[in-house]
Amino acid sequence: MRPHRSDGPADRAESDRLLDAVHAVPPADADPLTRLLAAAAAPATAGELDGEDRALAAFRAARAAPAVAAPVPASRPRRRLRVAAALSGLAATAVAGVAFAAVRLDRSPPPVVPPAPTTAGPAPTAAGPSRSTPAGPSGAASGAASSPGTPSGSRPAAPPSVGGALVGHCRAWLAKSEPQRAKALTKPGFADLVAAAGGPDRVESYCRTLVPAASPKTPAAKPSPKAPKTPADPSPKKSADDERKPGPGDQDDDED
Amino acid sequence: MVSRVDGRPTRDRVARAATVTRELNEAVTAAQAGDEEAFRFLYRSLQPALLRYLTTLVGGDAEDVASETWLQISRDLPSFTGGEFRAWSVTIARNRAMDHLRRQRRRPVVPVPVQALNDLAGDADTADRAGEALGTESALALIRTLPPAEAEAVMLRAVIGLDAETAGRVLGRRAGAVRTAAHRGLRRLAALLERAAPEDVPGAVRPRPRTGSQAPHASEAEPAEG
Repeated sequence: MRPHRSDGPADRAESDRLLDAVHAVPPADADPLTRLLAAAAAPATAGELDGEDRALAAFRAARAAPAVAAPVPASRPRRRLRVAAALSGLAATAVAGVAFAAVRLDRSPPPVVPPAPTTAGPAPTAAGPSRSTPAGPSGAASGAASSPGTPSGSRPAAPPSVGGALVGHCRAWLAKSEPQRAKALTKPGFADLVAAAGGPDRVESYCRTLVPAASPKTPAAKPSPKAPKTPADPSPKKSADDERKPGPGDQDDDED
Repeated sequence: MVSRVDGRPTRDRVARAATVTRELNEAVTAAQAGDEEAFRFLYRSLQPALLRYLTTLVGGDAEDVASETWLQISRDLPSFTGGEFRAWSVTIARNRAMDHLRRQRRRPVVPVPVQALNDLAGDADTADRAGEALGTESALALIRTLPPAEAEAVMLRAVIGLDAETAGRVLGRRAGAVRTAAHRGLRRLAALLERAAPEDVPGAVRPRPRTGSQAPHASEAEPAEG
Protein backbone atom coordinates (compact mmCIF):
# COMPACT_ATOMS: atom_id res chain seq x y z
CA MET A 1 0.00 0.00 0.00
CA ARG A 2 1.13 3.55 0.52
CA PRO A 3 4.39 4.43 2.13
CA HIS A 4 2.74 7.08 4.25
CA ARG A 5 -0.47 7.25 6.16
CA SER A 6 -3.49 7.43 3.99
CA ASP A 7 -5.75 9.10 6.48
CA GLY A 8 -3.77 12.23 7.00
CA PRO A 9 -2.28 13.69 10.17
CA ALA A 10 -2.86 11.56 13.20
CA ASP A 11 -3.67 14.34 15.66
CA ARG A 12 -4.05 18.05 16.02
CA ALA A 13 -0.40 18.51 16.88
CA GLU A 14 0.66 16.90 13.65
CA SER A 15 -1.84 19.00 11.74
CA ASP A 16 -0.41 22.07 13.42
CA ARG A 17 3.06 21.14 12.30
CA LEU A 18 1.88 20.58 8.77
CA LEU A 19 0.12 23.90 8.71
CA ASP A 20 3.00 25.77 10.28
CA ALA A 21 5.37 24.42 7.67
CA VAL A 22 3.19 25.21 4.71
CA HIS A 23 5.26 27.93 3.20
CA ALA A 24 8.30 25.75 2.96
CA VAL A 25 8.88 24.36 -0.47
CA PRO A 26 7.73 20.79 -0.25
CA PRO A 27 10.35 18.15 -0.84
CA ALA A 28 9.92 16.17 -4.02
CA ASP A 29 8.77 13.13 -2.13
CA ALA A 30 6.33 15.03 0.04
CA ASP A 31 3.00 13.39 0.58
CA PRO A 32 0.04 14.67 -1.40
CA LEU A 33 -1.41 16.65 1.47
CA THR A 34 1.79 18.59 2.00
CA ARG A 35 1.93 19.33 -1.71
CA LEU A 36 -1.66 20.42 -1.72
CA LEU A 37 -1.08 22.89 1.10
CA ALA A 38 2.05 24.22 -0.53
CA ALA A 39 0.17 24.72 -3.77
CA ALA A 40 -2.64 26.52 -1.97
CA ALA A 41 -0.12 28.94 -0.48
CA ALA A 42 2.02 29.33 -3.58
CA PRO A 43 2.99 32.80 -4.78
CA ALA A 44 0.60 34.95 -6.72
CA THR A 45 -0.72 33.53 -9.94
CA ALA A 46 -1.58 35.51 -13.01
CA GLY A 47 -4.52 37.75 -12.45
CA GLU A 48 -4.49 37.77 -8.70
CA LEU A 49 -2.88 41.18 -8.59
CA ASP A 50 -5.11 42.72 -11.21
CA GLY A 51 -6.75 44.99 -8.69
CA GLU A 52 -3.52 46.74 -7.80
CA ASP A 53 -4.32 49.97 -9.61
CA ARG A 54 -7.71 50.16 -8.00
CA ALA A 55 -6.28 49.54 -4.57
CA LEU A 56 -3.66 52.22 -5.09
CA ALA A 57 -6.32 54.64 -6.29
CA ALA A 58 -8.24 53.96 -3.11
CA PHE A 59 -5.09 54.52 -1.11
CA ARG A 60 -4.45 57.85 -2.81
CA ALA A 61 -7.99 58.97 -2.31
CA ALA A 62 -7.94 58.02 1.35
CA ARG A 63 -4.63 59.75 1.81
CA ALA A 64 -5.75 62.88 0.11
CA ALA A 65 -8.98 63.13 2.03
CA PRO A 66 -8.47 61.36 5.30
CA ALA A 67 -11.43 63.02 6.93
CA VAL A 68 -13.75 61.90 4.21
CA ALA A 69 -14.05 58.26 4.91
CA ALA A 70 -15.17 56.22 2.00
CA PRO A 71 -18.43 54.55 2.76
CA VAL A 72 -18.68 51.02 3.83
CA PRO A 73 -21.69 49.41 2.25
CA ALA A 74 -24.26 50.46 4.75
CA SER A 75 -25.43 47.95 7.21
CA ARG A 76 -28.96 48.41 8.26
CA PRO A 77 -28.74 49.92 11.71
CA ARG A 78 -26.62 52.65 10.34
CA ARG A 79 -29.13 53.86 7.92
CA ARG A 80 -31.08 55.97 10.33
CA LEU A 81 -27.98 57.64 11.51
CA ARG A 82 -27.03 58.25 7.99
CA VAL A 83 -30.30 59.95 7.19
CA ALA A 84 -30.03 62.15 10.23
CA ALA A 85 -26.53 63.12 9.34
CA ALA A 86 -27.52 63.74 5.79
CA LEU A 87 -30.23 66.10 6.90
CA SER A 88 -28.12 67.99 9.35
CA GLY A 89 -25.27 68.15 6.96
CA LEU A 90 -27.37 69.07 4.01
CA ALA A 91 -25.96 72.51 3.55
CA ALA A 92 -22.47 71.22 3.55
CA THR A 93 -22.92 68.09 1.58
CA ALA A 94 -23.28 69.44 -1.81
CA VAL A 95 -25.76 68.91 -4.48
CA ALA A 96 -22.92 68.62 -6.85
CA GLY A 97 -21.59 71.72 -8.48
CA VAL A 98 -23.51 74.48 -6.84
CA ALA A 99 -22.50 73.51 -3.39
CA PHE A 100 -18.88 73.36 -4.32
CA ALA A 101 -18.76 77.09 -4.46
CA ALA A 102 -20.78 77.49 -1.31
CA VAL A 103 -18.68 75.16 0.71
CA ARG A 104 -15.62 76.70 -0.65
CA LEU A 105 -16.51 79.96 1.01
CA ASP A 106 -16.54 78.20 4.34
CA ARG A 107 -13.10 76.95 3.96
CA SER A 108 -10.10 79.02 4.56
CA PRO A 109 -7.71 77.42 2.16
CA PRO A 110 -4.09 77.67 3.06
CA PRO A 111 -2.27 80.22 0.96
CA VAL A 112 -0.29 77.55 -0.74
CA VAL A 113 -1.97 74.25 -1.30
CA PRO A 114 0.73 71.71 -1.87
CA PRO A 115 -0.41 69.18 -4.39
CA ALA A 116 -1.09 65.87 -2.78
CA PRO A 117 2.03 63.87 -3.44
CA THR A 118 0.12 60.76 -4.24
CA THR A 119 -2.56 62.17 -6.46
CA ALA A 120 -2.21 61.89 -10.14
CA GLY A 121 -3.27 64.62 -12.42
CA PRO A 122 -2.94 68.37 -12.49
CA ALA A 123 -5.90 68.93 -10.21
CA PRO A 124 -6.77 72.35 -11.46
CA THR A 125 -9.61 72.70 -9.04
CA ALA A 126 -7.70 71.52 -6.06
CA ALA A 127 -9.63 73.77 -3.74
CA GLY A 128 -12.60 71.50 -3.76
CA PRO A 129 -14.84 71.17 -0.79
CA SER A 130 -14.05 68.85 1.97
CA ARG A 131 -17.64 67.94 2.01
CA SER A 132 -19.42 66.36 4.83
CA THR A 133 -17.06 67.70 7.40
CA PRO A 134 -18.41 71.02 8.55
CA ALA A 135 -15.17 71.56 10.37
CA GLY A 136 -13.70 72.04 6.99
CA PRO A 137 -10.21 73.28 6.60
CA SER A 138 -8.13 70.71 8.36
CA GLY A 139 -8.80 67.24 7.24
CA ALA A 140 -6.30 65.85 9.63
CA ALA A 141 -7.79 67.69 12.56
CA SER A 142 -11.31 66.55 11.93
CA GLY A 143 -10.05 63.08 11.31
CA ALA A 144 -8.47 63.04 14.70
CA ALA A 145 -11.58 64.42 16.29
CA SER A 146 -13.77 61.88 14.65
CA SER A 147 -11.88 58.79 15.58
CA PRO A 148 -11.24 58.78 19.26
CA GLY A 149 -8.99 56.09 20.48
CA THR A 150 -7.12 55.84 17.25
CA PRO A 151 -3.69 57.22 16.77
CA SER A 152 -4.64 59.85 14.30
CA GLY A 153 -1.72 61.81 15.57
CA SER A 154 0.50 59.52 13.60
CA ARG A 155 -1.20 60.63 10.47
CA PRO A 156 0.74 63.46 8.98
CA ALA A 157 -1.16 66.60 8.20
CA ALA A 158 -2.38 65.89 4.72
CA PRO A 159 -3.24 68.28 2.00
CA PRO A 160 -6.90 68.47 2.68
CA SER A 161 -8.66 68.90 -0.52
CA VAL A 162 -7.49 67.08 -3.60
CA GLY A 163 -9.04 63.73 -2.84
CA GLY A 164 -12.12 65.51 -1.62
CA ALA A 165 -12.28 67.25 -4.94
CA LEU A 166 -12.04 63.96 -6.77
CA VAL A 167 -14.77 62.50 -4.64
CA GLY A 168 -16.84 65.57 -5.30
CA HIS A 169 -16.18 65.39 -8.99
CA CYS A 170 -17.13 61.76 -9.02
CA ARG A 171 -20.30 62.58 -7.22
CA ALA A 172 -21.11 65.33 -9.62
CA TRP A 173 -20.25 63.19 -12.57
CA LEU A 174 -22.26 60.23 -11.36
CA ALA A 175 -25.20 62.56 -10.85
CA LYS A 176 -25.24 63.36 -14.53
CA SER A 177 -27.40 61.57 -16.98
CA GLU A 178 -25.84 59.00 -19.22
CA PRO A 179 -25.55 61.23 -22.29
CA GLN A 180 -24.13 64.11 -20.30
CA ARG A 181 -21.38 62.04 -18.78
CA ALA A 182 -19.28 61.49 -21.84
CA LYS A 183 -19.53 65.14 -22.72
CA ALA A 184 -18.60 66.24 -19.24
CA LEU A 185 -15.37 64.33 -19.40
CA THR A 186 -14.19 66.50 -22.23
CA LYS A 187 -14.52 69.60 -20.06
CA PRO A 188 -11.47 70.96 -18.28
CA GLY A 189 -13.24 70.76 -14.94
CA PHE A 190 -13.13 67.00 -15.10
CA ALA A 191 -9.65 66.72 -16.50
CA ASP A 192 -8.13 65.79 -13.19
CA LEU A 193 -10.77 63.16 -12.65
CA VAL A 194 -10.01 61.62 -16.01
CA ALA A 195 -6.33 61.71 -15.20
CA ALA A 196 -6.79 60.14 -11.81
CA ALA A 197 -9.00 57.44 -13.21
CA GLY A 198 -6.53 56.67 -15.96
CA GLY A 199 -8.76 57.53 -18.90
CA PRO A 200 -12.31 58.54 -19.74
CA ASP A 201 -13.49 54.98 -20.08
CA ARG A 202 -12.32 54.18 -16.58
CA VAL A 203 -13.96 57.07 -14.84
CA GLU A 204 -17.09 55.17 -14.04
CA SER A 205 -15.40 52.27 -12.32
CA TYR A 206 -13.01 54.63 -10.61
CA CYS A 207 -15.85 56.71 -9.28
CA ARG A 208 -17.80 53.70 -8.20
CA THR A 209 -14.80 52.57 -6.24
CA LEU A 210 -14.42 55.99 -4.72
CA VAL A 211 -18.10 56.55 -4.08
CA PRO A 212 -19.51 53.04 -3.99
CA ALA A 213 -22.53 53.58 -1.81
CA ALA A 214 -23.86 56.72 -3.40
CA SER A 215 -26.37 56.16 -6.06
CA PRO A 216 -26.35 58.75 -8.79
CA LYS A 217 -29.63 60.16 -7.57
CA THR A 218 -28.57 60.73 -4.01
CA PRO A 219 -25.40 62.67 -3.95
CA ALA A 220 -25.95 63.67 -0.35
CA ALA A 221 -25.89 60.12 0.86
CA LYS A 222 -22.34 60.16 1.97
CA PRO A 223 -21.76 62.11 5.07
CA SER A 224 -19.45 60.09 7.17
CA PRO A 225 -21.52 59.30 10.19
CA LYS A 226 -19.60 56.19 10.85
CA ALA A 227 -16.26 57.90 11.14
CA PRO A 228 -16.48 58.17 14.92
CA LYS A 229 -17.02 54.48 15.08
CA THR A 230 -13.81 53.51 13.42
CA PRO A 231 -12.04 51.44 16.01
CA ALA A 232 -8.44 50.54 16.14
CA ASP A 233 -9.36 46.94 15.70
CA PRO A 234 -11.79 46.17 12.95
CA SER A 235 -13.26 43.11 14.49
CA PRO A 236 -15.79 44.64 16.85
CA LYS A 237 -17.01 47.01 14.20
CA LYS A 238 -19.29 44.91 12.16
CA SER A 239 -22.54 43.47 13.16
CA ALA A 240 -21.32 40.44 11.33
CA ASP A 241 -19.19 39.66 14.29
CA ASP A 242 -22.17 39.27 16.49
CA GLU A 243 -22.83 36.08 14.71
CA ARG A 244 -19.32 34.97 15.12
CA LYS A 245 -19.06 34.65 18.83
CA PRO A 246 -18.21 31.23 20.08
CA GLY A 247 -21.38 29.31 19.92
CA PRO A 248 -22.66 25.97 20.92
CA GLY A 249 -21.05 24.55 17.84
CA ASP A 250 -17.66 25.23 19.29
CA GLN A 251 -18.00 23.22 22.38
CA ASP A 252 -17.66 19.78 20.98
CA ASP A 253 -15.00 20.94 18.64
CA ASP A 254 -12.36 21.25 21.22
CA GLU A 255 -11.95 17.64 21.96
CA ASP A 256 -10.80 15.43 19.27
CA MET B 1 11.58 22.65 7.22
CA VAL B 2 9.18 20.53 9.06
CA SER B 3 10.14 19.52 12.50
CA ARG B 4 8.60 16.20 13.27
CA VAL B 5 10.32 15.57 16.53
CA ASP B 6 8.02 17.30 18.92
CA GLY B 7 4.73 19.09 19.22
CA ARG B 8 5.97 22.62 19.56
CA PRO B 9 5.78 25.05 16.69
CA THR B 10 9.05 24.89 14.90
CA ARG B 11 11.64 27.51 15.61
CA ASP B 12 11.66 28.14 11.91
CA ARG B 13 8.01 28.90 11.81
CA VAL B 14 8.17 31.30 14.72
CA ALA B 15 11.09 33.16 13.26
CA ARG B 16 9.47 33.34 9.85
CA ALA B 17 6.21 34.58 11.23
CA ALA B 18 7.98 37.25 13.24
CA THR B 19 9.87 38.38 10.17
CA VAL B 20 6.75 38.60 8.08
CA THR B 21 4.93 40.51 10.78
CA ARG B 22 7.79 42.96 11.17
CA GLU B 23 8.13 43.57 7.44
CA LEU B 24 4.44 44.14 7.08
CA ASN B 25 4.30 46.50 10.01
CA GLU B 26 7.22 48.50 8.70
CA ALA B 27 5.37 48.81 5.43
CA VAL B 28 2.21 49.83 7.26
CA THR B 29 4.07 52.57 9.07
CA ALA B 30 5.48 53.84 5.81
CA ALA B 31 2.09 53.63 4.13
CA GLN B 32 0.50 55.53 6.98
CA ALA B 33 3.01 58.25 6.27
CA GLY B 34 1.94 58.27 2.66
CA ASP B 35 4.44 55.94 1.05
CA GLU B 36 2.67 54.56 -1.96
CA GLU B 37 5.29 51.93 -2.66
CA ALA B 38 4.84 50.62 0.85
CA PHE B 39 1.15 50.28 0.25
CA ARG B 40 1.88 48.51 -2.99
CA PHE B 41 4.07 46.11 -1.06
CA LEU B 42 1.23 45.45 1.36
CA TYR B 43 -1.11 44.81 -1.51
CA ARG B 44 1.22 42.43 -3.26
CA SER B 45 2.03 40.63 -0.04
CA LEU B 46 -1.53 40.10 1.05
CA GLN B 47 -3.81 40.20 -1.95
CA PRO B 48 -3.21 36.67 -3.28
CA ALA B 49 -3.95 35.10 0.09
CA LEU B 50 -6.89 37.40 0.75
CA LEU B 51 -8.35 36.63 -2.64
CA ARG B 52 -7.98 32.90 -2.13
CA TYR B 53 -9.48 33.11 1.31
CA LEU B 54 -12.37 35.21 0.02
CA THR B 55 -12.99 32.71 -2.73
CA THR B 56 -13.65 30.08 -0.13
CA LEU B 57 -16.18 32.44 1.44
CA VAL B 58 -17.97 34.02 -1.50
CA GLY B 59 -16.90 32.05 -4.54
CA GLY B 60 -16.78 33.98 -7.77
CA ASP B 61 -17.52 37.30 -6.09
CA ALA B 62 -14.17 37.26 -4.35
CA GLU B 63 -12.66 39.87 -6.65
CA ASP B 64 -15.37 42.37 -5.84
CA VAL B 65 -15.17 41.72 -2.15
CA ALA B 66 -11.39 42.02 -2.30
CA SER B 67 -11.80 45.44 -3.90
CA GLU B 68 -14.08 46.53 -1.10
CA THR B 69 -11.59 45.14 1.35
CA TRP B 70 -8.75 47.21 -0.03
CA LEU B 71 -10.92 50.26 -0.07
CA GLN B 72 -11.55 49.83 3.62
CA ILE B 73 -7.94 48.95 4.36
CA SER B 74 -6.91 52.17 2.65
CA ARG B 75 -9.39 54.15 4.62
CA ASP B 76 -8.78 52.56 7.99
CA LEU B 77 -5.03 52.25 7.69
CA PRO B 78 -4.46 55.17 10.07
CA SER B 79 -6.34 53.29 12.75
CA PHE B 80 -4.06 50.26 12.62
CA THR B 81 -2.00 50.52 15.77
CA GLY B 82 0.20 47.48 15.54
CA GLY B 83 -0.15 43.81 16.04
CA GLU B 84 -0.65 41.34 13.28
CA PHE B 85 -1.50 43.22 10.11
CA ARG B 86 -2.54 40.06 8.31
CA ALA B 87 -5.09 39.35 10.98
CA TRP B 88 -6.33 42.92 10.84
CA SER B 89 -6.70 42.78 7.07
CA VAL B 90 -8.28 39.38 6.96
CA THR B 91 -10.80 40.47 9.55
CA ILE B 92 -11.81 43.30 7.28
CA ALA B 93 -12.01 40.91 4.36
CA ARG B 94 -14.13 38.54 6.35
CA ASN B 95 -16.51 41.26 7.45
CA ARG B 96 -16.88 42.42 3.89
CA ALA B 97 -17.56 38.85 2.81
CA MET B 98 -20.21 38.35 5.48
CA ASP B 99 -21.88 41.59 4.45
CA HIS B 100 -21.74 40.46 0.88
CA LEU B 101 -23.35 37.13 1.65
CA ARG B 102 -26.02 38.86 3.66
CA ARG B 103 -26.76 41.15 0.76
CA GLN B 104 -26.73 38.35 -1.75
CA ARG B 105 -28.74 35.95 0.33
CA ARG B 106 -27.05 33.15 -1.38
CA ARG B 107 -24.06 30.96 -1.03
CA PRO B 108 -21.38 29.98 -3.39
CA VAL B 109 -21.91 26.70 -5.11
CA VAL B 110 -19.12 24.32 -4.38
CA PRO B 111 -19.10 21.43 -6.76
CA VAL B 112 -16.73 18.63 -6.09
CA PRO B 113 -13.88 19.41 -8.44
CA VAL B 114 -13.13 16.08 -10.01
CA GLN B 115 -10.72 17.68 -12.41
CA ALA B 116 -8.87 19.33 -9.57
CA LEU B 117 -8.46 16.01 -7.87
CA ASN B 118 -7.11 14.52 -11.00
CA ASP B 119 -4.73 17.40 -11.56
CA LEU B 120 -3.40 17.27 -8.09
CA ALA B 121 -3.32 13.72 -7.05
CA GLY B 122 -3.39 11.70 -10.22
CA ASP B 123 -0.28 13.19 -11.65
CA ALA B 124 3.13 12.12 -10.51
CA ASP B 125 4.57 15.44 -11.62
CA THR B 126 2.35 17.45 -9.34
CA ALA B 127 5.16 18.22 -6.95
CA ASP B 128 7.10 19.85 -9.73
CA ARG B 129 4.18 22.01 -10.64
CA ALA B 130 3.05 22.86 -7.17
CA GLY B 131 3.80 26.51 -7.61
CA GLU B 132 2.02 26.91 -10.88
CA ALA B 133 -1.43 28.23 -11.36
CA LEU B 134 -2.97 24.88 -12.05
CA GLY B 135 -1.71 23.34 -8.87
CA THR B 136 -2.79 26.32 -6.82
CA GLU B 137 -6.25 26.48 -8.25
CA SER B 138 -6.74 22.77 -7.88
CA ALA B 139 -5.58 22.85 -4.31
CA LEU B 140 -7.93 25.71 -3.50
CA ALA B 141 -10.80 23.98 -5.24
CA LEU B 142 -10.28 20.96 -3.04
CA ILE B 143 -10.12 23.02 0.12
CA ARG B 144 -13.37 24.65 -0.88
CA THR B 145 -15.10 21.29 -0.82
CA LEU B 146 -14.54 21.05 2.92
CA PRO B 147 -17.26 22.00 5.34
CA PRO B 148 -16.97 25.78 5.60
CA ALA B 149 -15.59 25.97 9.12
CA GLU B 150 -12.86 23.52 8.20
CA ALA B 151 -12.10 25.23 4.93
CA GLU B 152 -11.84 28.56 6.66
CA ALA B 153 -9.56 27.23 9.37
CA VAL B 154 -7.28 25.62 6.81
CA MET B 155 -7.18 28.78 4.73
CA LEU B 156 -6.40 31.07 7.66
CA ARG B 157 -3.68 28.76 8.91
CA ALA B 158 -2.11 27.57 5.69
CA VAL B 159 -2.70 30.35 3.19
CA ILE B 160 -3.04 33.54 5.22
CA GLY B 161 -0.39 32.18 7.54
CA LEU B 162 -1.94 32.92 10.92
CA ASP B 163 -1.28 30.80 13.96
CA ALA B 164 -4.22 29.11 15.62
CA GLU B 165 -4.58 31.74 18.33
CA THR B 166 -4.69 34.61 15.86
CA ALA B 167 -7.00 32.75 13.53
CA GLY B 168 -9.25 32.14 16.50
CA ARG B 169 -9.44 35.85 17.17
CA VAL B 170 -10.37 36.51 13.57
CA LEU B 171 -13.11 33.91 13.73
CA GLY B 172 -14.33 34.69 17.21
CA ARG B 173 -13.55 31.15 18.24
CA ARG B 174 -11.10 29.55 20.56
CA ALA B 175 -7.74 28.48 19.28
CA GLY B 176 -8.58 24.89 20.14
CA ALA B 177 -11.65 25.01 17.96
CA VAL B 178 -9.57 26.32 15.09
CA ARG B 179 -7.02 23.57 15.59
CA THR B 180 -9.72 20.97 15.58
CA ALA B 181 -11.41 22.33 12.50
CA ALA B 182 -8.12 22.55 10.64
CA HIS B 183 -7.17 19.06 11.68
CA ARG B 184 -10.46 17.61 10.51
CA GLY B 185 -10.08 19.49 7.27
CA LEU B 186 -6.63 18.08 6.68
CA ARG B 187 -7.77 14.57 7.35
CA ARG B 188 -10.63 15.00 4.97
CA LEU B 189 -8.30 16.35 2.33
CA ALA B 190 -5.92 13.48 2.85
CA ALA B 191 -8.78 11.04 2.39
CA LEU B 192 -9.85 12.75 -0.80
CA LEU B 193 -6.34 12.64 -2.16
CA GLU B 194 -5.94 9.06 -1.15
CA ARG B 195 -9.01 7.96 -3.01
CA ALA B 196 -8.06 9.92 -6.06
CA ALA B 197 -4.56 8.58 -6.38
CA PRO B 198 -3.87 4.95 -5.71
CA GLU B 199 -0.18 4.59 -5.24
CA ASP B 200 0.34 1.59 -7.47
CA VAL B 201 -1.38 3.15 -10.47
CA PRO B 202 0.17 6.59 -10.60
CA GLY B 203 -1.53 7.90 -13.68
CA ALA B 204 -4.86 6.32 -13.06
CA VAL B 205 -7.85 8.40 -12.23
CA ARG B 206 -10.84 7.04 -10.55
CA PRO B 207 -14.00 8.44 -11.94
CA ARG B 208 -15.64 9.05 -8.59
CA PRO B 209 -13.22 10.36 -6.07
CA ARG B 210 -15.90 11.56 -3.73
CA THR B 211 -16.64 9.56 -0.70
CA GLY B 212 -20.32 9.93 -0.46
CA SER B 213 -20.42 11.03 3.12
CA GLN B 214 -17.74 13.66 3.21
CA ALA B 215 -17.77 16.03 0.34
CA PRO B 216 -21.43 16.77 -0.22
CA HIS B 217 -22.17 18.73 2.90
CA ALA B 218 -19.79 21.39 1.80
CA SER B 219 -22.50 23.13 -0.11
CA GLU B 220 -25.04 23.07 2.63
CA ALA B 221 -23.59 24.39 5.80
CA GLU B 222 -23.26 28.04 6.63
CA PRO B 223 -20.38 29.61 4.84
CA ALA B 224 -18.47 30.38 7.96
CA GLU B 225 -19.78 28.82 11.05
CA GLY B 226 -19.14 25.35 12.19
